[in-house]
Parts: sequence; C-alpha cells; structure tokens
Amino acid sequence: MSVDAPAGLSAFPVTKFAMVITGLIPLLAAISSYKYVFYTSYSPFLSEYHQYYKLLIFQLAAVNETDVILLILIWYQLRNLERVMGSFKYISVIALTYIYTTILISSLNLLVNWTIPWTIWNRYPTGTLPVVLALFHFYKEYTPQVYEFNVLLTQPLFSSEDKGNKQMELKLNDQFLLNSLCFLLCLNQGLVGIICGFVSWLCGVFMEKGLLPGVDTFRLPFINKLLFNRVNSRGSHVVRSLVQISEDPHHMGQDNGSRTPLLANDSNTILGGTNSSLGDEENTGDEPIRPLGVQFLDTFRR
Amino acid sequence: MEINGNTLILIVLILYLFFSSPGGNGVSSKYEYNQIEKLKDHLSSEYQTFQKMSFRDNFRNITGLKLSYQDIITNPSINATYPIAGKDYDNWIHNQTYELLPDEIIQKISTKVWNVSDNNLTNFYPPNITSTLMGQINLVSNNEYSQLRMPVPRYFEPATDFAQDDPPEGDSYFTDWPNYGELHNVTFQKGELSIQITHINKVSDTISGYGKKFFNSQDENWKLLRLRIEFFDKLESEKHTMNPIAIYDIRRGRILSMSQSSKFHSLFSLPHYMSVGGGLDKGDDETIFNETKALINDYWNGSNYIDTLTMGDLDTLYDNALSKCEYTVFLQLAPWNQFDKDQMKKIDEELNWPLGRPVNLTKLPPVSIQSGLLYSPDCGVELQFNDASGVRYELKVKTIRSHILLGLLLFAGQIYLLLCQMQHTNTPSSINKISFYSFSMINLVDGSLATLYLIASSVLPELYLPLILSSFSSFILASIFETRYLISIYTSQANERGVSIITLLRGNAENNDEERVTNADIPDDASIGASLYGRFFFSLIIFTFLILSSTSWPRKIRMTFEYICIIILNSYWVPQIFRNVIKGLAPRRERRRNNSPINRRQHQTPLLWKFIIGTTIIRTVPIVYVFTYSSNIFRHHRDPRFVVFLSLWLLFQLSIMYSQDILGARWFLPQHSIPEGYIYFKPVSLAHLAKHEGASKHTADCAICMSEVPVYIEEAEETHNIDQHSYMVTPCDHIFHTDCLENWMGYKLQCPVCRTPLPPI
Repeated sequence: MSVDAPAGLSAFPVTKFAMVITGLIPLLAAISSYKYVFYTSYSPFLSEYHQYYKLLIFQLAAVNETDVILLILIWYQLRNLERVMGSFKYISVIALTYIYTTILISSLNLLVNWTIPWTIWNRYPTGTLPVVLALFHFYKEYTPQVYEFNVLLTQPLFSSEDKGNKQMELKLNDQFLLNSLCFLLCLNQGLVGIICGFVSWLCGVFMEKGLLPGVDTFRLPFINKLLFNRVNSRGSHVVRSLVQISEDPHHMGQDNGSRTPLLANDSNTILGGTNSSLGDEENTGDEPIRPLGVQFLDTFRR
Repeated sequence: MEINGNTLILIVLILYLFFSSPGGNGVSSKYEYNQIEKLKDHLSSEYQTFQKMSFRDNFRNITGLKLSYQDIITNPSINATYPIAGKDYDNWIHNQTYELLPDEIIQKISTKVWNVSDNNLTNFYPPNITSTLMGQINLVSNNEYSQLRMPVPRYFEPATDFAQDDPPEGDSYFTDWPNYGELHNVTFQKGELSIQITHINKVSDTISGYGKKFFNSQDENWKLLRLRIEFFDKLESEKHTMNPIAIYDIRRGRILSMSQSSKFHSLFSLPHYMSVGGGLDKGDDETIFNETKALINDYWNGSNYIDTLTMGDLDTLYDNALSKCEYTVFLQLAPWNQFDKDQMKKIDEELNWPLGRPVNLTKLPPVSIQSGLLYSPDCGVELQFNDASGVRYELKVKTIRSHILLGLLLFAGQIYLLLCQMQHTNTPSSINKISFYSFSMINLVDGSLATLYLIASSVLPELYLPLILSSFSSFILASIFETRYLISIYTSQANERGVSIITLLRGNAENNDEERVTNADIPDDASIGASLYGRFFFSLIIFTFLILSSTSWPRKIRMTFEYICIIILNSYWVPQIFRNVIKGLAPRRERRRNNSPINRRQHQTPLLWKFIIGTTIIRTVPIVYVFTYSSNIFRHHRDPRFVVFLSLWLLFQLSIMYSQDILGARWFLPQHSIPEGYIYFKPVSLAHLAKHEGASKHTADCAICMSEVPVYIEEAEETHNIDQHSYMVTPCDHIFHTDCLENWMGYKLQCPVCRTPLPPI
C-alpha cells in the first residue's frame, strides 16, 4: 500500500459524505434559523420541556461555526480509516460509534443530573465530536506513524545562566495535525467538550477491544446499494482503463504487476495516466460523456 | 484610461467627495450653526416649562400648544404669542377651552375609542406589539372644525444668501408659506391605512448612535413606540405619511401619538392628553400624567435629546411643518384575554430568541387596533377607523423566510435545468439554433432579482442570510451560467450579423460570396464575452433602478408599468419561435426518419422540453402566488384575471413551440415563402474538381485527415455508386469527409481551409 493517501476525495465516498453533511446541515439550519434544534442541554430542554428527541440529533450538526470547520478538517484527516477499513465497514463503524457514544453520553448525563441534586453537567457537546473522538482511537490504532521531526528553538527559553535549562525541543510526528485539531475541538467546547471527548475516546477503546461488540459484525443494511453504486461503476471504469493501458503499446514495457494492487485506491492517478496516454488519439470516441460535475467545472474553465 | 498611481489618487479623491458628508450634527455653515443653537435653546426652555408643569397646569410657552380650540372659535385671527391676554394658565380641564380638540372629538374619544378600560384594569394587553397593521380608514369630516393657527418659528427657514449668518426672528403663519395647501386636507372618503409599530426600548446618547441603553424605568406599564402611519386613497393620488413617537399604556391598551414638527412640539403635550376622554378617576388621571411625564423625562435624558439634535432633524421638523398637517392619534388595542402574563412572557421570549420552548406560536392572534381616531388640529380633519390588524413582526419574518427559501429552491431548479440544457447543446451547430434574445430576457430577470435581493439583504438584517444566499444563487445563475451560455450563442451566431432575415431563412443557399467575405472577421470569445458582460451589467443597473423607482410611482402608472413589464418579460419564448422559423426545424416525424448516424446531429430540437416546461413553471409560480394569494408577503393586490391571461399567453407560446416540434418550424408560413437551406451533400462537377487537382482520380483531398475523398461527379458515370452523404461540399467549394467536417463543425463554424463562415447543419 502506498504511503501517501491519494489526493482528493473521489476514492473516499464515506469521508466525502461525512464532510458534506457536517457542513451542509449547519448551513441549512442557519438559513432557515432552526439552529436551536441542535442545541442540547439538560436544563431546560430535557428537564423542563422533555424534548428527548434532542438526544438523538445533537451530534448531527455543530452549532458553532468553528466546530463545523474543525470537524470537517478532522473528517478529512480520518480518511485513512476509510482506506484501512473499506467504505462499507467504515460507515458501519461510524454508525455504531454514533449509537454507542449517544447512549453513553446521554445516559451518563441523565444519571448525573438525576442523582446529584444540583446541576453540574448541563450542556451537551455539539456536532460529531463524540464520534470523531471515538474514531480517533481507531485511527491511532491502525495508522502507523510514518515519521517524526523535532523543532528546535534556537534560544533556551529562560536565561542562559540557568544551568538546568536546555535548548527547547518540540517533538512532532506526522499525526500532529490530527492530534492538534482534536485537541482544539475539545478545547473549543470547554469542559463539556473535554469530558465528553474523553468518554467517547474510551468508548472507541472499548469498541476496538471488543468490550462493546459490533465492530466486526455490525453492518448497516441497504447502505451498500444507496451509497456505493457510483463507486462500483467507477471501479469498472478503472478496470476498463487498466485494460486500455495494457493494450497501449507505450505501457507494454512497464511492469503492470507493481501497479495492480494500487488500483483499488489509486484510481485517480491511474486515470490521470490514462488520459495523458490516450491524448494523441482523441478522435476514437465520440463527444465524451460529461457528467454534471465536470460540466459545472467546465463553465469556469473555458 | 491607464490605471497608475495618479489616477488611483484621483479616483479616491472623487469617491471621497462623493461619500463624505459633514460629520457630527451635520452643520456646515455659520448660519446652520446658529439655527441649531436656536433650536436647542428653544427646546431647552420649553423643557424647563414642561418640568415645572403639573397635572393641573395649562401649557404656557410651548410651540403649537399656545392656543386652544376655544381661542380660535372666539377670535379666528388670533396670534399665538405667549402670553395671551385673559387666558387661564393655571387650570387644566379636558374641554375645548383648554385643549386643542373640540368638545365633540373629546366626547368621541371617550365613547368610541378609549371606551374599553374601566378602573379595574381587568383586560390583558400584550406588552410587545411590534407589527404592521393594515386596515381601512374613513374620513369623518374635513370642513366641520375650525383650523387652529400654528405658526412656524422663522429661524427654521433656510438661508437666502451666503452672507447671511443669523436666522430671522419671529413666527410665520401659513398664509405666508409658498406651497401651503398641498397635503393640508384629506379629500377622499375611504382609504387604506397602514400603521407600523416599533418599540423604542433602547436609545443612544450620542449622535453616532452607538452604545444604546435601556432608558425606561417603568417598562412594566408604559412603552415608548415609534409609529409610521400611512393613509392613502385606492389610487394613491393622495398619500399622507407621518412618523411620530407614541406612548403605549399596557394596562389599558391605549396608544397616544402626536405628530412632531417645527410648529408643534408635541413631545411635551403627551402626558396631558394621555388621560383625554376621562372615564377614569381623578386620581388615576394624575397618576397617568406623572408616570408618562417620567417616561418622557427618561427618554429626554436617556437619549440626551438636546445634544443629539442634528441638521437632519431640523430639516425634517421644518419639512413636516410646511408640507403636512399635524395629527393627534388615539388608538385602542384589542385585548388578548386568552393569555396571562407568564404565558405572554414565554411567547415573547420564544419570538425574540427561539429555543424551541413549548409554546404554540401558530395560535398567536394578530395585533389589532379595534378603534382609532385621528384628528388634525391645524387642518380640522377628523378620520376614524376600526379593526386594523397585523401579525407580530417576528412571525411575519418567519413567513417571509420560508418564502425566500422556497424561492431559493426555484433558483436551484433553474440552475439544474440550465445545466441540462447546456449539456444538451454542446456544439456550435446546436447552440446556433437557440435564440439569443430569449435567454437575454431570462438573464435580465435573474440578474435584477440578484440585485433586488442584495438591496433587500441590507434593508432587512433579520433575513440577511437567506436573502444574501438567494442573491448569490441568482447571481451565479445569471452572470455565470446564463451569460456563459449567451456568449456561446452569440459566438455561434456571429457570422449571421448583418445578414438579412431572408438570407437567413434561405440558409445561405446562394453563392453570395461577397457577403460572406465581409463577414469573415468574427470576433473571438474573449471580446464577445467582455462586451456581453458589459451589456449585462449595464442593462441590469438600468432595469433595477427602473424597478426601484417604479415602486414610488402613483398606482395607476405603476400598475400599467408592472403589467407591461410582466407581459413582455414573460414572452421569452417568442424570440425562440422566430429563431425556429429562421433555422427551419424539420417536423418530428421527418427527423425520426432521417435519424441515421450520418446526420444525427442535424435535427435535434434546440431546447429540451424539460427545460422549456421547467423554466416556464419556475418563472410563473411566483407571479401566480403574488397575484392570486390575497395575503401575500408583498401586500400585492389580487388579480386572478391577469394570471389567467398570462398563463394563456404562456400556454400559447408553448403550444406554438410544440406545434413547431411536431409539424416543423415553418408550418404556418406559406410554402412558396420558404426557401431551401444550404445542402452540404451534393454532386460535384468535373470543372469544380479540377480546381482541387484531383480530377484524374475522381477524388478530392480532405484537408482534415489528409486522405482522399471519393466524390460523386455528374459527368463521370463510374462515380455514381458513391454515397453523396459520405462527403460534404462547403459553400466555399471545399470538400471534406462527412465525419471529418462534422467533427470540426462541433467546434467552429468556419471552413478549415479558407475560414469562410459555414452555415450550420
């Protein structure tokens, strides 16, 4: 498997879906001014108004714009998980973490609020913070650290006479972006974000260790047809282009064996190569089919 | 003009001159400074008088309140100069000897308007009544009562020359005014009324308006309102507008308002008139006076009234005095006894800050004024109305928001349809059959909607997000997709410019070489794009200004303009019908028959039916809504007949286009007037072929694929088995393979050899 994840999102339908949903729902809620639907706290919504449906949806949309951006960035970073698990398993695991974290957080919150006479934990986190934090554990577990680097600060932080004071050194690895984004996300929602983040991370640990069952067995029904139809058709496209490459005299000399395992995920690069190799025989096909997205872009390109 | 540092500085300077205005209070000359100082002194001294006044005192030296109705009855030419000999300044009784109002009016107020509340205060009235109320207003009399003389202090007059530093002294009466009488009477019997109510909860004590603070210490019982009252006759030939401050008595549901101008400083008279009409205990009257006086004091001090006066205020006061009647307005709100204070508080909170509280907002009744009386002391006009109502502003905003979102969906649908259409016609030949003017009309409407939405978004901050999104999406639709498409249409039709319609109908069949040579210079995409964008923005600005200014025209002209505009802008398929005729689309059956792979591109319908019908529906739905739904958000009048007419007109256009699709585009033209189009597939003569130096082999060279083209030659029998559809002969007598030339014509309608424009296939 290649070290670098392929650029773009065309090979990551679930990640794309998660990113779009994370941005789209808050946007729609904002323009129709129904943002408050996703704002959840024990008092008054649960204790007074008994709006328990909020427990099911509080993860769907972040109320705060910063959280929306952070979550979208984190979903993008987590795309490696989709690569490891495959789209179908990935979306099933996401759904499972959604269920587990929702149950865990809301039951903990209700328990705390019912047993302790005064409200010490009122607010709920907004957005998919719990899901993301649970997946964070999976990410750490399955993604090897590729490299690390030190940032040396040229001057010792304190005065140079101090004997024990060494040169400051910052050790970072290739995952520090995701780490810091998750850290910011938790910090951004205050104490609630940190507590719920920790609880959800534990939830992820339990799931991965098998304490909370279902990671390997639970699969979403129907979703295969709904979401992945396009992926399948694109897959066949990849196969077709592969056939063309093998027939193409320019590619005959190259070792196809080393390329084949890449194809499942690296469809982009292969397709790019195909296009350039076919460039000198454009007239073979009729006007190529232009999907709506391409046409959209063509409007700006031409 | 070249843009360098100097021109940039010049532009900045010019913009500075345009947008700079005198800061602060707007004083720009010594004269104006003296004017505003005089006004401040005047108001301060009146405020001092007001402070000393108790409930039992008459008004003394306060502008507009120096005379009572009885004074003018006794002596019609009396001058309002304080003190008036023999006038009782130490008592205050609710009758015409002391008040501006005649006894009949006072009587009416107590029996017909402020007759709901008794001393028990049993009714409940909503504390927040922000809304716009609509109703009908009736004229009771405009000649029965004497007109009170209200002089304007002369220091309000503008300077007559630049050297003048000191404003004139003294007062002037209406007989001296140049354009008196314009709106100083109400002549219609029945009219439309709209009252817009907003609360003044916070005021700023600086001119800049920053740092607004709550000022009202009796917020539970009294509210200060800003009204905008408009009444006009059905034809809107006579329109009266005022923008006064009002006091709302929450316990009794009474609203009192008096217009303010340089001849009537009504702010100081509100406490006295709040208890007009009686029906209350003597003690209550005094409490009302003291409480409202405290409210006025709160407002005066909170807003720093004297120091925040600007030249704009001064001009407004003077304009109001000259051009309008003064009005005293007495309104009685309908009680909301189905709610109590706690419920109402919750409802107000939910409206103000929605959180999904368990309250039923859909059952909230409209704010309604059950009776109202308007009396003008200086014009002697009396008007009355019953039942003006309107929903709470927040609910109204909610409705408008959902309408805007629906409109957004329409835009999205239009963008989708246009993209489908653009994909359908992706070659110059197919785009060539589309009418430029049809899409220009559609584009103009979408572009103006974008600007109107943009303007609206700055006017309505509550709806900024949906409005700006609508503006953005319609702008994307108009300026990117539609203009892009228009550029392609224009480019594909560029070689037709300057060619007569008859020639076009003929499709360049004749050998009119001279004409073609003159048109050979076809501008490229970029220059066409630049000129079309320029045209687009220019027409957009002109049209938007026209629409905006038309809203202030008299009703008759406005409606004619509106109807004509709608009819014209909804004739967008007419140019396409003409275009079809010019391009001569074949009947559908014939197209099907000829649907061989060779000419499969030749006879597509230029527009997708999905696009035609979808666009028509998307563009008609808003018009149908506005003209048939009587409580539409634009307060547009109802006119179903026009909608039926418009729908029929659109249906007619659609049916013509459909018949063109079925029967051929020229079915309604007489046969002999339809000339033949240019035919690319024809036999070649030997003489012709000789020019191509291929006469010996009976072939020509295809300049595209550089191989030989076998051709059908009239004189040579042995070539007669060659399919005439396998090669094409251009009007400039060049020969190509059909495949080669068709592919080329997918990109450009120019001969690959000599660049002569080619007639589209």
